[in-house]
Amino acid sequence: MIRVVLRRLLIGVFVMWGAASLIFVIVRVAPGDPATVMLGPDADPEQIARLHETLGLDRPMFAQYLSFLGDAVRLDFGDSHRLGRPAMEAVFDRLPATIELTLAATAIAVVVGLTLGLVAGGRPGGVVDRVVSAATIALQSFPTFWVGIMLILVFALGLRLLPSAGVGTPQHMVLPAITLALPFTAIVARLTRSSVAESMREPYVQTARSKGLTEPQVLLGHALRNSLIPVVTVVGLQMGALMGGAVIVENVFAWPGLGSLVVDAVANRDYAVVQAVTLLIAGIVMVLNLVADLLYTQLDPRIRMEGAS
Amino acid sequence: MTRFRGRRLATTVAAAAALLLAACSTTSGGDDTADAGDSGEATGGDIVAAGTYPIESLDPHGAQGASTGTQFAGQAIFSRLVRPSADGSLVGDLAAEWTANADVTQWTFTLRDDATFSDGEPVTAEDVVASFDRMIALDGPNAGNFPEYTMTSASDTEVTITSPVPDAAVPGKLLIFYVIPAGVAPDDTAFFTAPVGSGPFTVGAFTPGDSLELAPNESYWGDVPQVDTVTVRNIPELSARLTALRTGEVDVVWGIPDDQLGALQGEDTLTVETVQSTAVYTMWFNSSIPALTTPEVRRALWQAVDFETIISTLYPETGELADAPVSPLVLGHSPQEPVGFDPEAAQAALTAAGFDFSQTLRLQFANAEFRPFIQAVVSDLAEIGVTVEPLEKEQAVFTEDLLALNWDVNFQQLATPTYDAASNLGRLYTCAAGRNGYCNPELDALLAAASATSDEAERTDLYGQASEIIWRDAVGMYPMAVSLAYAWNSDLDGFTPDPSGLPDFSKVTVSGS
Repeated sequence: MIRVVLRRLLIGVFVMWGAASLIFVIVRVAPGDPATVMLGPDADPEQIARLHETLGLDRPMFAQYLSFLGDAVRLDFGDSHRLGRPAMEAVFDRLPATIELTLAATAIAVVVGLTLGLVAGGRPGGVVDRVVSAATIALQSFPTFWVGIMLILVFALGLRLLPSAGVGTPQHMVLPAITLALPFTAIVARLTRSSVAESMREPYVQTARSKGLTEPQVLLGHALRNSLIPVVTVVGLQMGALMGGAVIVENVFAWPGLGSLVVDAVANRDYAVVQAVTLLIAGIVMVLNLVADLLYTQLDPRIRMEGAS
Repeated sequence: MTRFRGRRLATTVAAAAALLLAACSTTSGGDDTADAGDSGEATGGDIVAAGTYPIESLDPHGAQGASTGTQFAGQAIFSRLVRPSADGSLVGDLAAEWTANADVTQWTFTLRDDATFSDGEPVTAEDVVASFDRMIALDGPNAGNFPEYTMTSASDTEVTITSPVPDAAVPGKLLIFYVIPAGVAPDDTAFFTAPVGSGPFTVGAFTPGDSLELAPNESYWGDVPQVDTVTVRNIPELSARLTALRTGEVDVVWGIPDDQLGALQGEDTLTVETVQSTAVYTMWFNSSIPALTTPEVRRALWQAVDFETIISTLYPETGELADAPVSPLVLGHSPQEPVGFDPEAAQAALTAAGFDFSQTLRLQFANAEFRPFIQAVVSDLAEIGVTVEPLEKEQAVFTEDLLALNWDVNFQQLATPTYDAASNLGRLYTCAAGRNGYCNPELDALLAAASATSDEAERTDLYGQASEIIWRDAVGMYPMAVSLAYAWNSDLDGFTPDPSGLPDFSKVTVSGS
């Protein structure tokens, strides 16, 4: 197990280096000069040159790259000139809100998705299965942005049950979390459904039934565990994708997370913040993938054995 | 393993259930006024506003100093030497009076003697000069308005700003200059977590990019605001912003597009008004490219677009045909003869001028909200055989291409936040500025003369002559003067819509609180 973790961490270092290099290049080849954006079109060339110097953009690209890598190792991405403070500080201010939202969405998606998948997969081809399948296709098809607006119109404006935007109370989290969770729920439900349906045809399920176990006992005690293997992997991967999806949801619901920070940073060519956010999310996704893999080994002894050998 | 999994599952289920229960247990955000009353503290009521911009920083001298969010915060927390009145004219804020020397290279401001900071310390000339020096040292966007300008103080109540060239627009430019106590270093960011200012409000809480809560400055030298708090929230999405207004979570919203005004006007609890802004839709032609060099061609293209119909269709409440390159609120505004819609005459003029109808003109713009307007213009020009390709660009790319003249027609909603044509006509239309490829020594001379006199009537006349040239030569098309739409809770008394989208809450009270 330790060897597996160490190997993955070593790979992770290369992944992070690749992500860092990629984002360094991408932000710099994108058209639009940060100094011009920050100072506005009326700035004179001397003022722009001074800001280039302040931002280190007057140095050769390779020198910038080496400095960037050296600082990134220390989690120092420099100051956001636009915000007037260290980029990492701005990112850490917003990170908790995004994590909060992502975790809530994941919880909803896992609970609802697993339940729907179990129920549908328990009786493949039945009415519930057909309804769940249709509903999950629909949920995956709706654009997140549109779903968010619809939920606001129904639950905030129509029913006046929930606040439309912002933070402050647990109620504020409900609509953004559900919006973010819906497509994820559909994925978990569909995957669980097909996995459970397949498990239900396995000999060990027949054996369990022949021992006189009830259908719920067969489902929860035997089919579910084996069905969880692909689900755990997908949940791990999707949590990373959720952080990306949170950008849109945060914007719709005025949720003060990383979303609006990174959107504004990209629009304003705030290299420091864009780089900090990108690498942070890359790191989080990497850790989540590692956790998913470790859970995978716990759920499937065959993989544990392969890792050990 | 099974037991562990069961606990995890139970915890997750409990978390989700708690979330859903929380959803069903209360109504929406709500009535802030009632909350204030319940607390038993001051009874002026609470106001929640949602503008069109985030507030990322409270430092009015820094990189965010020119942003609307920081400007809004600045006018609430700090004082300026001058501020705009409702009609766009300048009135004293910290300054009791101001005068220019004969050649308009020095402006002297006499400070009022009763102004104090929120910590009780008096506002002195030393604070004003130190603030100016700090703004220059930070070299941010606002500093760019004062290249090689210096400020000195002759006494505790007098400051003088000296410019290297005559500059009659100095008072207007100072609208974006805020005074903080002397001694705050350029890199002192800690000061702005709980800033000391001499404006009507102090900072109760501030979360960059999310919300700013203001409380009355009890040491304010003017009338202390009556409300308990003013909270400005950032709600970027329009639908969420308007829903929050209609549900009472927010009391004031502005920057509302025309297609949303009807629904709000039907709400009994809301007041909806529009106010003339300082912005004009401005569509420069790139006069440096062969196709658009001659005024006849540019004017013919203007003639080919039915702006009156477009505006009445898309902007029935927030737009009207412009009659000058600058807004009526701006010093130097001078009405010009309207350019009538006449596609046949336009086509004939283009043919006579040898216009190449096979070419495609690139029309650049930067914001999706203008897309319908741009498409309408493109459509009208297509009617006379002129092909225009609309290019919607990201702001950073737009700005870069704007300065590089990498466009044929450029669309901007051009505001004049200084309320002085010097920062619009005087800044953008000179040969040296090179902003639209147009160069006319006669226009340069008029703009220079307007900048070299402090006589407002004379300046208005000179800018009027400059406007006539710009209009006649069709340096651009100037289709629409923009109004800003505001909607607010009718319980708010004394709320006045602001032309620049920077409403002042210091005189607002909440009925029944």
